Order: sequence, then C-alpha cells, then structure tokens
Amino acid sequence: MARVGVFVCFCGANIADFVDVPAVVAEAKKIKEVKISVEYKYMCSDPGQQMIRDAIVQHRLTSVVVAACSPRMHEKTFRKALSDAGMNPYLLEVANIREHSSWVHQKDKKAATEKSCDLIRMAVAKSIANEQLHEISVPVTKRALVIGGGIAGIQAALDIADARIPVVLVEKSPSIGGRMAQLDETFPTLDCSQCILTPKMVDVASHPFIELLPYSEVLQLDGYVGNYKARIRRKASYVNFSSCTGCGACWQKCPVKVPNEFNMGIDKRKAIYSPFPQAVPNKPVIDAEHCTMLLKGKCGICAKVCEKGSIDYTMKDEIVEREIGAVVVATGYDLWDPKPYEEYGVGRFRDIITSLEFERMVSANGPTGGVPVRPSDGKVPKSVVFIKCIGSRDEAKGIEYCSKICCMYTAKHAILLHHKVHDSHAYVFYMDIRAAGKGYEEFVKRAQVETGVTYLRGRVSKIYQKGEKLMVRGEDGQLGQVVEVEADMVVLATAIYPYKDNPDLARLLGISYDQYGFLSEAHPKLRPVETAKAGIFLAGCTQAPKDIPDTVAQASAAAAKVCGLFADTTLKKDPMISVVNPEFCSGCQNCINVCPYQAIVTEDIPLGHGSKELRTVARINEGVCQGCGSCVAICRSMAISLAGFTDMQIINEVVAI
Amino acid sequence: MTTLTYFPGCSAHGTSEEFDSTLKLVMKTLGVQLEELPDWNCCGATSAHVMTENLALALPLRNLVLAERLPHKTMGIACASCYSRMKATKAEMDAHPALAQKINSTIVEEGTYKGNVEVKSMLQFFYEDIGTGQIKAKVTYPLKGLKVACYYGCLLTRPQRITRFDSPEYPMSMDHIMEALGATATPFDFKTECCGASFSISNTEVVLSLSGILLEMARESGAHAIVVACPLCQSNLDMRQPDIEKKSGITYRIPVLYITQLMALAFGYPLKDLKPAKHIVPIEPALAHIGEEIESPQKTPKSKKAVEAESEVE
Repeated sequence: MARVGVFVCFCGANIADFVDVPAVVAEAKKIKEVKISVEYKYMCSDPGQQMIRDAIVQHRLTSVVVAACSPRMHEKTFRKALSDAGMNPYLLEVANIREHSSWVHQKDKKAATEKSCDLIRMAVAKSIANEQLHEISVPVTKRALVIGGGIAGIQAALDIADARIPVVLVEKSPSIGGRMAQLDETFPTLDCSQCILTPKMVDVASHPFIELLPYSEVLQLDGYVGNYKARIRRKASYVNFSSCTGCGACWQKCPVKVPNEFNMGIDKRKAIYSPFPQAVPNKPVIDAEHCTMLLKGKCGICAKVCEKGSIDYTMKDEIVEREIGAVVVATGYDLWDPKPYEEYGVGRFRDIITSLEFERMVSANGPTGGVPVRPSDGKVPKSVVFIKCIGSRDEAKGIEYCSKICCMYTAKHAILLHHKVHDSHAYVFYMDIRAAGKGYEEFVKRAQVETGVTYLRGRVSKIYQKGEKLMVRGEDGQLGQVVEVEADMVVLATAIYPYKDNPDLARLLGISYDQYGFLSEAHPKLRPVETAKAGIFLAGCTQAPKDIPDTVAQASAAAAKVCGLFADTTLKKDPMISVVNPEFCSGCQNCINVCPYQAIVTEDIPLGHGSKELRTVARINEGVCQGCGSCVAICRSMAISLAGFTDMQIINEVVAI
Repeated sequence: MTTLTYFPGCSAHGTSEEFDSTLKLVMKTLGVQLEELPDWNCCGATSAHVMTENLALALPLRNLVLAERLPHKTMGIACASCYSRMKATKAEMDAHPALAQKINSTIVEEGTYKGNVEVKSMLQFFYEDIGTGQIKAKVTYPLKGLKVACYYGCLLTRPQRITRFDSPEYPMSMDHIMEALGATATPFDFKTECCGASFSISNTEVVLSLSGILLEMARESGAHAIVVACPLCQSNLDMRQPDIEKKSGITYRIPVLYITQLMALAFGYPLKDLKPAKHIVPIEPALAHIGEEIESPQKTPKSKKAVEAESEVE
C-alpha cells in the first residue's frame, strides 16, 4: 500500500496570498494514500527540508509530493532531501502551484485553490506509480576536439589545454590564425592584430596538450557525449613537414600564380605556398588544384630547389581517427556577397572594394605595403566613401540581422585611411551607429571629431562613374537632401555571413542551424555556448556575428564547459530517458525518424527464445537520449516508455482529476 | 508562324507612330504575326491607377479578358506604362482570387478572367522568345560603328517581383540586342534612372533636370544615340531636348531612337521607313557613324570571379 506525504509551501506570500493553503492541506489529507499533509512557509529552506526528511522516516513514506514552485526551480533540492532521508530521489513529484496556479490566477482565490488541489491530486496519483530510478553513469574520454583555428578555436584550445586536457585542433587551411590574422589593427584600441594574435598561435603549436592538425577537415563524428569518435581527413600537403625548414626556396621559384585568398585576391600567391609570413605551422603546402606537376606532370621545380628533399608529389590524403569526449565548433565566418547591389555597380567598377579587401590593403604585410590603392589604376585614393550595412539590415537585398561589427570597423577604417593617407578624406554613409561596447562610442567620436570623418546619415541609392571618379549619390537624412560625393574609392561594409558549408557541418555533427546557416545555441540567453547536443559547444562567429572580445569570451566559456564536463571520470545523467521493450517492438523505426538527438539505433535480436533467426528492434543509446519523449509518442506498438513518465503514471494523473 | 496579340496603347497610334510602324516591319522580318487586340481600352496609366483601386485594376483587366478570347498565348505590349499596368494587374489577380472575382464582376459582360495569357513587353518578347541569335541572323545591314546608350527607363524591368525580367538596376537585354545588330552599347550607368515621366506636362522643370542628367551621362558614355523601348521616355528625351539645351547651355543633339527603328534599319529597311521626320533631334547625323572604323571596344572591367578563376603561368 502506497504511503504518500504531501508538503504544501506558502512561498512567503507568493502562494499563500492567492491560494487558501490550509484548505489545500486539508483537501490533500482526504486522499486515502496520503499519510501526512502539512504546510510550511518556505519548504525549500532548511527547516522545510528537515520536515520532509523527518516525515519520510516517521511515516515510512513510499513517495513524496511537494506542492510549491516549478520543478525547474527546486526539484533538485527536494530530491536531495529524499536522498538524505534514505529514499530514492525519483520518488519525488512536484506539484507546481505557484507558476501554474497562484501567479496566474491572482484575481480568483477560489479557483486557484481548487486548481491547486487538482494539481496535488494528480501529483499524488502519479507518485504512486513512481519507480525507483538510478542516475546513469557514462564513461568519459578526456580529450576535446576544436574545429577551426581562428581566434575562437585558438582561445578555446589554449584554455582547455591549460587545464591539462588534451586537445585536437583541426584547421582546414594550411595555417591557424583565421580572420584575425588578416586584420591590420583592432578597434577600439588600434593595437596591431598580428602582434596580439601570433604569440597565441605559437603557444598553440608548442603546447604539450595540443595536437595541431592543419590542412585537415572533420569528416565524421560518431558517438555521444563523452564518447565521440571523429574521423579527420589530413589533406595531402605534398611537403614532408618533419624535414621542411620553411626556408621558402620552393615558393620563390614556383612558376604558378594563383589569386591569394589571404589577401582577398588582390595579389597572387604561388601554387606551393605558406599563406602568410607568421603562419603556424610555418611550412608550405602544394595547392593540388593549381600545381602543374600534380595536374599535368610538368614542372617539378620545387622538388629540384628543395635542399632537404621534402617535396613528395606522391603524398596522399590521410584519414585519422581520434576518440574525444567533447567538441568546440569555431569555424568562423564568411562575407556576404554584395553582388545584388547592382545600383552601386558592384562587379562593374573596380574601385568598389569590400571592407576586408581594404583591411588587407592597409595592413603592413598586405599586398600594397600598407597603403590603400585603387585597383583600377594603382593611384592612392584621396576621397573614400565607406558604406555601412551592405547586406545587413536590408530585407530587400540582403539579410535581416545586424552584422554587429561593421559600425566599429568602419570607424576604424576611416581612421586608418587618415593614418595612411594624410591628405585624404573619409565619408561614411550609415543608417545608425551601433557602438555598444567598452570604449566603442568614444572610438566613433574619435573618428568623427579628431579624424574629422564626415558621417552622413542615409542610404546610398546609386554609384556611377564620371571620368575617373565614382559619384556616390545618397540621402543625407539630417539635411533632408540628396547629396553626391565624388569618390576615388568606395568601401562596402559587407555583412558577416556563415560559411555556405555550415549546414553540412551541422548535419555531420548532428546539431542545428538557423535560416542563415549560423549554428544554433541551446538557449539564446541561458545556454549560449552549448548546442542542443550534449558535449558539443560553440565559439565565435559560427554562431552569430561577434567582435573579437565577444569571440574570445565565448571561446573561454566553451572551454570552461568542456573542463566542467571532464571534471569527473564518468558523466552522471538523469535517468528520465526512453526504454524500449524489445518484446513489443515491431522494428518499424519510426522512432529513429523522430528522434531529434539521433539517440536510437537498431539491433538484431533472436526471433524467439533460442531461435537462430533474427529480427530488428530499436535500442536507445543511454548516453545520447535526452528524454524528450518523441519516440514514445510515435511508437505504434507502445514498446517505448519514458522512465519517470510511464503510461501508467500519466493515466493516473488524468484519472485523478 | 507565331502570332502575338498586339496591344499598342494610345501612344502607338499617336506620338510614337514610328515605334508602331517599325515594330510591324521588324515582326514581319522575324516571321511573327501581330493581331491587334480588338476593342482595347485605356490601360489606366498616369491617372486612373492612382485614383481608385477598382478602376486601376478593372481597366487593364478588361484588356486581359479580351486577350483571352483570342487563341494566342502571349500579349505583346508596345508601351512601357501599359505593360506595367497590365503586368501589375495580372499579378494582383493571380495572387488574390477573391479580389479578382470582385473586380471581374464590374466587367462581367466581357467574360471571366482565367489568367492564361502571358503579358510581355516587346523588349522581353524580342529577348526571350526570339533571342539574340535569331535577331543576328536577320541582320543585313550591320550597325557597326554606331554607339548607343540603352535606356530602359523605370518600368520595363521593375518591380522585379512582378516583371521577373532582367535586372531591375542594371539590365542588359537591350544592350545584347544592340550588339546583335552590330552596334556598340556604351556603359551607361543611368539606364534605369527616371526621365521625369508624365511631369512633362504638369511640371516641365522636373523633366528638364532629370532628362538633362540622362543626356549628359549618355554623352559622357560616348554614345551617338539613345535607344529606348518606351514612348514616354522617347518623347521626354527627344521633344524636351531643345529646352534642356537652352536651360543648360550645352548642345547635345543626341537622337532618341526606338529599339525597333534600329532593328528595322539593321534588317535592311530604308531610312525613310524609320520616319525621321517624327524626330525633333535629327537622327541622320548619328546614323552616319554606321560603317565607321571603331577603336577597339572599351573593355568592360573583368568581374572579380573571372579574375579569381584565372591562374596564369609565368
């Protein structure tokens, strides 16, 4: 015979003011299985918990119902109280009479009281069918995989490795560094991007707990939290890194020129190349798509000039596998293609460039030696128009979101232009100035007041050519007039946009992405670095547009999450997960289709006892299942049940009201 | 032989007579028969379409319903304004069946709108249904040496969600047709800017300033003539040119020709068939450039993609 204790909380005035608590307690007493029904001002307080512990012992209770706030708030607290009294913690039920009753029915005490009684009747009925459950324990492989070697991946890898946890850092290009390596100076302090980044890159290469896999990509990820297995392709570099000294003779002599991605195609690199002088690792790779030796078997100059004999044209891609416990995805961002702005003549006028092209031009190690020049004639521009929100906040031509960093980097570019070309003038067309950040508003003011940049509030409607000049026609909203600015060069502040292969990566990892292709966090406010899949975390612009401080902060947060996950040798998991009864399972596999966590697999079991013939049934992977119940709902043979929410428990609840 | 339902609009029977007559010549050469829509009515442009929704839709709808009585699947429209009204009405009718029924009830005696006739501008018909290859094949008098600025105006490609033809900002279809005729299309950044449209009558100053910019930019591009496919554009740029010249003190003398006039010329029709007398700015001096040796055609800047795709060997 079940023996249930009911503990009703006043929650100060929160419940007691709108629900007649003594009446509820009296009503609960009438239920035949209820052996004790009491009230207390704050059930979550120490004396409140003691009351529960004492009652469990004194009345030999078989289950406990606490009528209080939402279980999200204090379920853990009360479960612990049960444990302390020697009772299985999963014999607890919480009747939420605060959020579900007193708070929402403040104008009708009678109804709130009745509803509270109903909620308690349901909880009591459910608790009678509660079973003893036990936490699931999953072993953990203490090694993290970081995908992407930009500043987000670098920071996450260093933070995790500093906690003496091994990290595998996978970077698709020949060097780590990412977008930040392409930047000249950083807002709002104008410190040199390379100068603050390269020491971190070197730290990565020399860290005893980091295995750096450059020129590699993740092909497959199997398993579940704490027990993933990653297959990684190491693209053939055709250079033996162990003997290569990085002397550079090969790329000096290579005759094949290819547009240089690192410099946004402004200049050329060779077919054997290291992307930039500070590259880590500082070893060249051969671009197989352009090398004439690999394509046609003609040339071979690099092998001839290499004193160490490090060139190996026969090298093949290599697949490696790593067992890992957690993943940080930090794949960064691409730029939104400004092609739809045909009225600006994008693609027709060579002197319209994107902000990242401008960034490369003003970089000291850039293709133009740190001075901006017009691509059409190589002249140094004296009048430059910067147009913000290219793609961003433009529902007609671009995307709805704000790209967040463009206001700041445009202010930076205007200042840098003045630093590099003293007799130049910068004009900025803008919709709004969004300078929310430490020192940001001051930085924009500096551009406006100290540098004397002309800020024009309005959109540009047209750009046309007049002689050598680009005529930029736009609205000055503050004057209420159409203005035309004669420009030598136009810089478009193109939006941050996710890489187009982000959805493929998301599918490969089993995580979700939004309508643009940004990877989705588990909760926009409270779980910003986790994904919906346990053990996979996000850092940087792969999740949403961010500046460097935010990216680094998120990367460190992701690292902290990984370290937290690895704090114990095993992972503890709530036992409220699905269980398949193979006797009833018909093997239809509908559950596999609806499972959002890919937690269900098939297995073959004997057709009958001792039979040699096999049949296929579903099996739940305990490590992956999150207990959402989708499979339970879809299962037509009622073969799946959710521990803690069995059909009997639910039916009991329904019958009780 | 293809037959096209032909909607001339009021101007083709008046101010843009030379558009109408050369269109007929061109179609004859291309082997396309034109059947003028019987009993067509005003499209409602310029006044009705901004006054009342009912009239704005009912006027073009009547024409659409009449067109459906004919066996031809496409209605070609000469005037850009008529085209815009007809196309917009069709889009509205197709998107909102309830509204279509309501508007249709006001012209119920003409028939029920079914939506099975396609509406195209003549430019669109030439470009999509005939194609530059076919056009090129009919050329007997290549216009080599003639440099033209192709001016599309505001309506032929806009709004894009309704026209679904060419680019709304920098269209190229007319440029390609001109190249097929042997002429050179100049890079003209103002090809979709406003000419001032019907302000020609109510506020002429607006037209003088807007069309003035167009003439200036066309000259800047090096064009001998401007090519249009819209009667209102033609009349503003041609008829108002003397006033513009007087106001600015600059002599342009840039003739403004219909696309069909140049097509007819290239197809071998004599100059007189172009009705030169209809023009305020004489067309002959510009046409005299035909046959001139041209300096190597102005190189259009390579698109970024093309530059990227290129990989050179030293």
